[in-house]
Amino acid sequence: MLDTFEILTTSGVVLWSRTYAPVSPSVVNNFITDIFIEEKSSVAGAKNGASASENPPYKYDQHTLRWAFEKELGIIFVAVYRSLLHISWIDKLVDNIKAIFVSLYRRELTKPDTTIVQCLSFDEYFDQQMKELEQQSGGKSQTRAVNDDVLSDDLGEKGRTKISQIETSPASSPIASPNVSRPSTPSASQLLVAKGGPTGKLSRRARKAQNAHAVPASSGDEASTKKTKAKPVKRGRKWDADGLATEDDDVQLDYSVINLPSDSEVEAGARPGAVEEVDASTWGSKTKGKFVLKDLGDEVQSILADANAKRNAASKSAEPASGLVGSSLSAIGGLFRNVVGGKVLTKQDLDKAMKGMEEHLLKKNVAREAAVRLCEGVEKELVGVKTGSFESINARIQKAMEASLTKMLTPTSSLDLLREIDSITSPSATSLRKPRPYVMSIVGVNGVGKSTNLSKICFFLLQNKYKVLIAAGDTFRSGAVEQLAVHVRNLKELTAREGGQVELYQKGYGKDAAAVAKDAVTYATQEGFDVVLIDTAGRRHNDQRLMSSLEKFAKFAQPDKILMVGEALVGTDSVAQARNFNASFGAGRTLDGFIISKCDTVGDMVGTLVSIVHATNVPVLFVGVGQHYSDLRNFSVKWAVEKLLASA
Amino acid sequence: MSLNNFAPFIEAAMNPSPTVLSIGLIFLVVFPIVLHFLYSFITPSNNLPPSVLLIGPQTSGKTTLVTLFSNPSTPSKTHTSSTPSSTELSISDNDDKKFLLIDTPGHPKLRARSVLAPLSSPDSKITIPGHDHNEKSPLKAVIFLVDSAALADSDTLPQTAEYLYDVLLALQNRFHSRKGARAPSSMPVLIAANKMDLFTALPPTLVKSILEAELGRIRTARSKGLLDSGVGQDDDLTEERDDSWLGGDGSEKFKFEQMMEFDVEVEVIGGNVIGDGPGVDKWWKWVGERV
Repeated sequence: MLDTFEILTTSGVVLWSRTYAPVSPSVVNNFITDIFIEEKSSVAGAKNGASASENPPYKYDQHTLRWAFEKELGIIFVAVYRSLLHISWIDKLVDNIKAIFVSLYRRELTKPDTTIVQCLSFDEYFDQQMKELEQQSGGKSQTRAVNDDVLSDDLGEKGRTKISQIETSPASSPIASPNVSRPSTPSASQLLVAKGGPTGKLSRRARKAQNAHAVPASSGDEASTKKTKAKPVKRGRKWDADGLATEDDDVQLDYSVINLPSDSEVEAGARPGAVEEVDASTWGSKTKGKFVLKDLGDEVQSILADANAKRNAASKSAEPASGLVGSSLSAIGGLFRNVVGGKVLTKQDLDKAMKGMEEHLLKKNVAREAAVRLCEGVEKELVGVKTGSFESINARIQKAMEASLTKMLTPTSSLDLLREIDSITSPSATSLRKPRPYVMSIVGVNGVGKSTNLSKICFFLLQNKYKVLIAAGDTFRSGAVEQLAVHVRNLKELTAREGGQVELYQKGYGKDAAAVAKDAVTYATQEGFDVVLIDTAGRRHNDQRLMSSLEKFAKFAQPDKILMVGEALVGTDSVAQARNFNASFGAGRTLDGFIISKCDTVGDMVGTLVSIVHATNVPVLFVGVGQHYSDLRNFSVKWAVEKLLASA
Repeated sequence: MSLNNFAPFIEAAMNPSPTVLSIGLIFLVVFPIVLHFLYSFITPSNNLPPSVLLIGPQTSGKTTLVTLFSNPSTPSKTHTSSTPSSTELSISDNDDKKFLLIDTPGHPKLRARSVLAPLSSPDSKITIPGHDHNEKSPLKAVIFLVDSAALADSDTLPQTAEYLYDVLLALQNRFHSRKGARAPSSMPVLIAANKMDLFTALPPTLVKSILEAELGRIRTARSKGLLDSGVGQDDDLTEERDDSWLGGDGSEKFKFEQMMEFDVEVEVIGGNVIGDGPGVDKWWKWVGERV
């Protein structure tokens, strides 16, 4: 069964919710963070107007979430249920609820400067939908039974003939028979609608009423469908009940007897007014719920039909408008609007400009995959948006792209390396952790500058007066250890005066890199080093044999941070590199950051940054901008976005 | 026939007589004025009430506070926000003093756009979510909500402090970025120590000192840290460096009082949105005084 259903705004306020089983709020919070903020799903961003079945289900901690999003109003519809269950109608429920809610509360939702939307009455609509969908899928056998009941009571062809009687004769005429009520309950579907009660309790009562006295229930239906005639018809039936005294009518008599015991039997014919009064009261107490429900069912049906029609119309209007005059007029208007602004953007307007933007991003060395995702996101965001006064489409796109690049590149958590090192090497007294060295390792493809960047980081740490141990984890390539030795010698000389201390830990070639790393960490703990920097051998990201050893490495060395070095020079392959490295450390361990080297060699074409962040959602920590030890920079999002959007 | 009837009128209108000239002159003067009033009547007035920006890290209770303010009897349930929103509130029951409370998402990815950009703009005006871009409202105060129960936590503190650092730095840079003699108006900041109802909550004085210590640490760490990419390549180095130092130069420890130098008045007040405790009355009063 459904655990909870929530309707909330993008600003975080829950407008309406129904909880069947308590669900931790973190489920929905994580869902929002992942889908709407960090856009982790493979289908980037939230599609406006997409039905729940098109949105991939979100799974979190034994729960599955199906959702739909109304962009214009900024409302998210989420259904949460246990992943073990398979609920076939859940998509339909989410879609229908969305359609109903939007049509009912659109006016209130578009009101500015308020967060309150009064939607207490939405309970009934929701229950109605739940019941209907549940019965459509699961409760078929039961509905059949009810149906049979009704039919057996009913004399089919007789009833049909009576229909005409109602229509022609005034309903107050006594001839209008007990069966009059029957014909108007022709199909099971109407009955079913009626059965959906505002609460479970009421619906049970309704069902009982239907099984026991099929007549009153059906008569209620009938009356509601002919709203204006409701009372006269009712009276007519009563009259008949006394006169004809069929099996059904006994039931009906019982019904009235509850309120008016013997009176009606005696004087029924003489005083229709009295009977009418009784009728009204029974209506109030017994059938009122059903009456309302029936109405609700109709209303809901009409709302859904409207929504469907609108969707169809929208899909039709997506095709170019017919009529030469109309199209040319709108084209001229569009051109004018394009210059002056205040134009509502459509997909056609955006298509060409988006193509240009995509082209621009590709020129900046952004991988196609990432460029397409970015452009799709921007397009979705902009469709239906009105441009500002004197704002062209391109300017608007530029703005939106800037925002979406910033959002993508901005890290989720703090990246203050020095702070992190401090908290590990000298933990606060309350945290009950033992001081230990901070372990950092660097991985990457061959020749991207792992050792160089490692020594740059080392230089930076030495400047901040840390005691650093460099572990030569590259036990494969000849000269790798010597290269590090040279770096260490240089760094020693450079920082000796400032009091930096650095040492090299090496075990020569041919050893298991993971074991060397582990030994280095143990050694550093004994000797009281602050930071251990572990170099690794370069490996091709699509070589399973080489990549598999990384998992063991991560397990042995337990690095606090695993950084991957990526070249700014590499193009589309950066996506695959980042993905493969990110996935190579086993379950529960991913990369912690990237260092993008050789940024000085590419000028404005820093698209690699975007590609790798797109591929992994792992932030960029540093960028390398030159040959010197000091040429390492913190990554600045603003700088990257400016470069990416700068026209060549 | 009909043309002949009109001929004298046309002739008179073409004459350079004083009456025709004066009619023309009156028309020339009156028409633009009428047009102006017509136009200003049609377009909605741009008189938005002043606004208060509500910021803070995730799960500090921003949206809950907004729902509490707008609907004191039954605050709604809330989830993570992904877009900013605004709520119109009035200080007292008589509806003369209104202001807009702008709720912002706390997620780090969404800060740059909705929080830091308006804070660093020198004219201290802010675009209200849900309104047109041209309509701006004067920003009167900033409420920085802090989860005081989780502040002792080693993860929450640096995140909170870093956000606060960025906010204060933006305000400081806004002070520096003034043009001409017109200094930007002062910007009061309320650090609202939320969740006082919880057992683990720190008292406001401790919240203040912890945050000050942490901000100081961030300040020194940033001064020692690496340069930002892009800095030192094309433009001069020294000026940029100055911009990341929060508070007065040469001060050893960071104190919120140092922000007074930049017309930023910081105050820490405890309260709680839900549960038993001091409640939100003090915050409400603080806002009322500033708006």
